[in-house]
Amino acid sequence: MFSIFKQEARGLATSPASSSTQDLGTNCGEGLDSESSEKTDKEPVDFYGLGDPAAEFSQMSPYLSSRGSIIKCFRDAAEEGYKAYHLDEYDEDKNPNGIINFGTSENKLCFDLLSSRLNQRDMHHIEPPMLQYPDWKGHMWLRDEVAKFLSYYCKAPVPLKPENVVVVNGCASLFSALATVLCDPGEAFLIPSPYYGAITQHVYLYGNVRLVYAHLDSRVTGMDCRPFQLTVKKLEIALLGAKSEGINVKGLILINPQNPLGDIYSQERLQEYLEFAKRHELHVIMDEVYMLSVFDESAVFQSVLGMDRLPDPQRTHVIWGTSKDFGISGFRFGTLYTENQDVANAVASLGCLHGICGTVQYQVAQLLRDRDWINQVYLSENHARLRAAYAYITEELETLNIPFLRTKAGFFVWIDLRKYLCSDTFEEEFSLWRRFLHHKVLLSCGKAFECKEPGWFRLVFSDKIHRLRLGMQRIQEVLEKEPQGAKTLSPCQSLEKSSQSR
Amino acid sequence: MEERFLHLEERRVQLEQRRLELEREHEFRMFGVFAQMLSILKEGTRMPQGPEQMSGVFSELSDPGTKHLQGSAYLSNRGNDIKFKRGVTEEYIEAYFADKYDEDENPNGIINFGISENKLCFDLLSKRLTQSDMHHIEPPLLQYSGWRGHMFLREEMARFLTYYCKAPTPLKPENVTLFNGCISVFSGLATVLCDPGEALMIPTPFYGEISKSIYLYGNVQLVFAHLDSKITETNTRPFQLTVEKLEMALQGARSEGVRVKGLILINPQNPLGDIYSQGELLEYLEFAKRHELHIILDELYMLSVFDESATFHSVLSMDRLPDPQRTHVMWGTSKDFGVSGIRFGALYTENRDVSSAVAKLYFFHGISGITQYQMAQLLRDRDWINQVYLPTNHSRLKAAHTYITDELKTLGIPFLNRNSGLYIWIDLRRYLHMDTFEEELLLCRRFLDNKVLLSCGKGFQCFEPGWFRLVFTDKIHRLRLGKHGQLSPAFISKLVHCGVHSSTRYWINYLELEGTSETTSSNPLIVQMRKLRPT
Repeated sequence: MFSIFKQEARGLATSPASSSTQDLGTNCGEGLDSESSEKTDKEPVDFYGLGDPAAEFSQMSPYLSSRGSIIKCFRDAAEEGYKAYHLDEYDEDKNPNGIINFGTSENKLCFDLLSSRLNQRDMHHIEPPMLQYPDWKGHMWLRDEVAKFLSYYCKAPVPLKPENVVVVNGCASLFSALATVLCDPGEAFLIPSPYYGAITQHVYLYGNVRLVYAHLDSRVTGMDCRPFQLTVKKLEIALLGAKSEGINVKGLILINPQNPLGDIYSQERLQEYLEFAKRHELHVIMDEVYMLSVFDESAVFQSVLGMDRLPDPQRTHVIWGTSKDFGISGFRFGTLYTENQDVANAVASLGCLHGICGTVQYQVAQLLRDRDWINQVYLSENHARLRAAYAYITEELETLNIPFLRTKAGFFVWIDLRKYLCSDTFEEEFSLWRRFLHHKVLLSCGKAFECKEPGWFRLVFSDKIHRLRLGMQRIQEVLEKEPQGAKTLSPCQSLEKSSQSR
Repeated sequence: MEERFLHLEERRVQLEQRRLELEREHEFRMFGVFAQMLSILKEGTRMPQGPEQMSGVFSELSDPGTKHLQGSAYLSNRGNDIKFKRGVTEEYIEAYFADKYDEDENPNGIINFGISENKLCFDLLSKRLTQSDMHHIEPPLLQYSGWRGHMFLREEMARFLTYYCKAPTPLKPENVTLFNGCISVFSGLATVLCDPGEALMIPTPFYGEISKSIYLYGNVQLVFAHLDSKITETNTRPFQLTVEKLEMALQGARSEGVRVKGLILINPQNPLGDIYSQGELLEYLEFAKRHELHIILDELYMLSVFDESATFHSVLSMDRLPDPQRTHVMWGTSKDFGVSGIRFGALYTENRDVSSAVAKLYFFHGISGITQYQMAQLLRDRDWINQVYLPTNHSRLKAAHTYITDELKTLGIPFLNRNSGLYIWIDLRRYLHMDTFEEELLLCRRFLDNKVLLSCGKGFQCFEPGWFRLVFTDKIHRLRLGKHGQLSPAFISKLVHCGVHSSTRYWINYLELEGTSETTSSNPLIVQMRKLRPT
């Protein structure tokens, strides 16, 4: 019957297939982390790194500017996998041998709920202002709704103000705009790794802003009570390292709940990170895009907007959007909340390049204000489905004896496949990733998150059980062919236990 | 059925009476506005001071980053730059948003002759966009949509452009990249074609937002080829674009060491309303090819040519482009469908390098999947576009244009008479005390103080002070148009010609539209929306 998306698959298939796998391979090898396999853990220099997004760029087009050529050749691992997936998407009826997507962080569990809500009559309203040029901060009625929404769900001590809200077409745009107005070209943000890798290009493509990594690792030491724990000390080391190289670091990016680790920062931790940033006059960009995807009732999420007193409110900027928490990444809606009017206005100046369709703004406003539906229908159901999917996938992982970090939020588990690598290199990691893909299951490898240790993968579980089952089968089949046990790794096991206990 | 029809007729008559009353009020108001304009102008009248002095400056480099007020300690240098980057009349536009005219709620508010939006066809668009075929949702629309927009929409766009641009061979969907508006396309193109500090060339006066769009992220500047109003042997019409002027501007920029990477042309032109002939177009393209310049063609107003005597030629219609790999065309729905709030624009280029580089920036210029679906539905509905929308839109544009130009003639205000676009380029030079842009801005201010927003020439980087752009497509005219357009004998006979059925349908549509705004106003969000004005 309805065939627009079949056409799409065809259209993409006819476009020249990217010769990208090769690019990615070399990319993995060239990364600054390739030496880290030598285990120089004791040296502080290993605790940070500087991203150089232009490093793998090679060919120059006669039609493009130099930066145009760099932009054109800019690749990231997530994009490559996604493209392969897009050409051969699994479909139970039409393409049962297609690729199962455990790579893209999308919540596909609640499409029925969203689609029925978005099809309700109240969504189909149009009036002139929606079809005309908007205020580039977003329509006031939407900003009003966003402020109310965030006040409620972030448990703000006093009502948040609509004037501090700027809405744009997605969080990627917010990263780009914030990077541009907070940093000059060549300056940098600090970010703990592993992190959601797309941020690299979000801040670099237009903004020409780089990332300084505060590398976290899986070792559990006295100081750290869990793997990949973020501590102020690690932030300090990374900042110092960057400064010693003459890099001007203007801010710190934190993702909470964290992607890909699933960590939720406690109030005390959060306070420490914010104090650290204040001490160094760093802006803090808090990405809270998974804040309503905390599916375990025992977990408490603390938004920075819920804190009684922010250490440096003028340098604290919060990002949220509907992509993850409402499972509608195709909607393109993101919002910035900042008390700093200079920052809000500067971002709004870029707003004309990031505008959202007026009728979509209306639909988002209708969605956000429907507290009854969100609380009584959507969130409870979404969390129950996420819990069930998580329970299923973790049982499977345990059966397969694959260690992983337990999580209470997000759509993914961070799994440890280090024992399946012949050597501790990102080439090996990439080759495993590719074997998964050839066996029709797409995962995200740790390198895509700038993880320092090769062998970690992110597995997205927010999909229907039968797909999870099929995907896990395929993973098992790949791993069974691997030289398992070639390396005896007890740390994984202890890691598993310790993470279970938290 | 007949009874229902009679009943509808009765309501139609009532409605018509109500509308006529409103029209009278609005006409009265319009005359008021013009009277105000006239008195403002009289106040400022000066005697014409002989022939215009022309300096020899034909090229000039824009420097959007120079005007700094005071920097914020929280922002980067460019952040401060961006924050203070404002158009000449941006302040005035903000004043308008804070005090918008509304027939019911703010009858003394500011009338908008400044922002180029077509508000004449809101009824048609709103009706079309709320039809049941627009309300489709399926999973891929709610998920990430790839890097250039959904393929189904790129295909629709290619077909649409093939048809309306009269392309000799079908245009290819692979060459289409979709962004959230043409401003975003400008930003993307500038960034991948120029390095920071390099420049694109553009004839002035031009739509001023372009400077901002290429500068904000791209840090790309404009080199102006100034056109003027003097009629000479080569300048057979005012503000005529000639290759000679382009050459001079290019040489000027090069002699100053500025690297010019491309030429931007707007066709139909904004604010002049000029439509380039096929011959002219070819000359400009040959010029660009000679100098290895990219050419960016903004054809945003291509369907807003409302006079049958004028013919628009898209570059996509040309049998052979001089330099296809350096020719990039953009179009969007903002102007031609009067839906600037939808944020939808498209780039068509055969150059794979350019399109894949621009596509990398899609992250920042993505369009909601639902909107993409609706745009595809709209663009493929050729029957509605050709039989309903375009004829109505053009007749309303024409009527509004006639009304305004008659008024201008009555006032004795010279203007360029063109038959495209949503605006008229008017000459108020004789109302300036001196030939300066300060004077021009003062006049603009006086208009605003008297609750009329106009765009002054400086906003378009016009070289001669005293020109203004007057947008004639605001809502108040729509009501007036009821009499002259929709209900004129000619219009009615047209409807009869199309069949009674369609005319009845038209009125049902209209009545329903009236109805919806009443019934839905119980929705608190809408009530609130109506109260809230952007601050």
